[in-house]
Amino acid sequence: MYAGRCYGYFYRLTGDRDLSDELLSELFIRLVEKIKSYKGGAFESWLFKIASNIFHDYLRGKQRRKKLLDARRVQLELEPDLNEIRFSDEGEDRLDKLQVHLSRLDADTRELILLRFYSELSFKEIAELRSEPLGTALSKLHRGLKKLRELMEG
Amino acid sequence: MREREHENLVGLFQRFLEEPAARAAHEDIEAGERWLAACPAPLPDARVVAAIKAQTAALARRRHRTAQWGRAAVATAAAIVLAWVGLFGPRSADRPGISYAAILPAAIWESDDLAADDLDIVYFTAEIRHLEATLRAVDAGEIGLGGGLRDELENELMAIEAEFWKG
Repeated sequence: MYAGRCYGYFYRLTGDRDLSDELLSELFIRLVEKIKSYKGGAFESWLFKIASNIFHDYLRGKQRRKKLLDARRVQLELEPDLNEIRFSDEGEDRLDKLQVHLSRLDADTRELILLRFYSELSFKEIAELRSEPLGTALSKLHRGLKKLRELMEG
Repeated sequence: MREREHENLVGLFQRFLEEPAARAAHEDIEAGERWLAACPAPLPDARVVAAIKAQTAALARRRHRTAQWGRAAVATAAAIVLAWVGLFGPRSADRPGISYAAILPAAIWESDDLAADDLDIVYFTAEIRHLEATLRAVDAGEIGLGGGLRDELENELMAIEAEFWKG
């Protein structure tokens, strides 16, 4: 039950099945490791807080890898014989219409929309989880979902 | 009870917006979420889920074992420390007003000859040695006894040994 929702959250954030598998695996390992830190309350809130942290850890790692790749690309461009190597974005999954439109939203709003949808938490819980005021979360989500609706219906 | 089921979105928006705008915002959110529900994300592969389950179960077992070893190590360390304090720590006589609980009978630690420290042990040890000597003599043919006596001696020896370990 939780695996499907967490997988959906990761998949809609990344658009990549293999990567979502990895993140899901990492999530459940971290749950076992951190189970003692669960102090009761909404389990989803605790679960998706960890899921969100894992996604952010991944993004930070990706940034580091991108820097390394960029450095390597510059180096390869200086070496004519080796410049056939192509740098492509990961993820060969066919992106559905929703995935395409989600990717047009800014990253923070996209994450908020997906957190709300897959965690099934209330706005108050989401605002607490993200450490931001309730009004801010409401406003961002409203703008994001309105935009998504326009894109999907347009 | 899940909080979201009782969430009044229009009411929440009305904290920040006029009622018509709050209702419109609510409608936008519902419509956006309907799109999300209409395009479900794929489910994780069953093999992936099985692999994760196996991995987490193994991890949980390992953590459980580590915790058990940890507790045993702490208990052992505590026993050693307490025994050390009992043996080499300051005596109540050295520090008047402070008394230390004896964990093990002091006699056991103060002598290499356990039997000499306890009359029961002295008695059992003597009995066992006597019976063992008798058995050896019977085996060697030094003592000529009736056929049932050897069994009787062995039974007596076993009974004494059992009594010994009962403490």
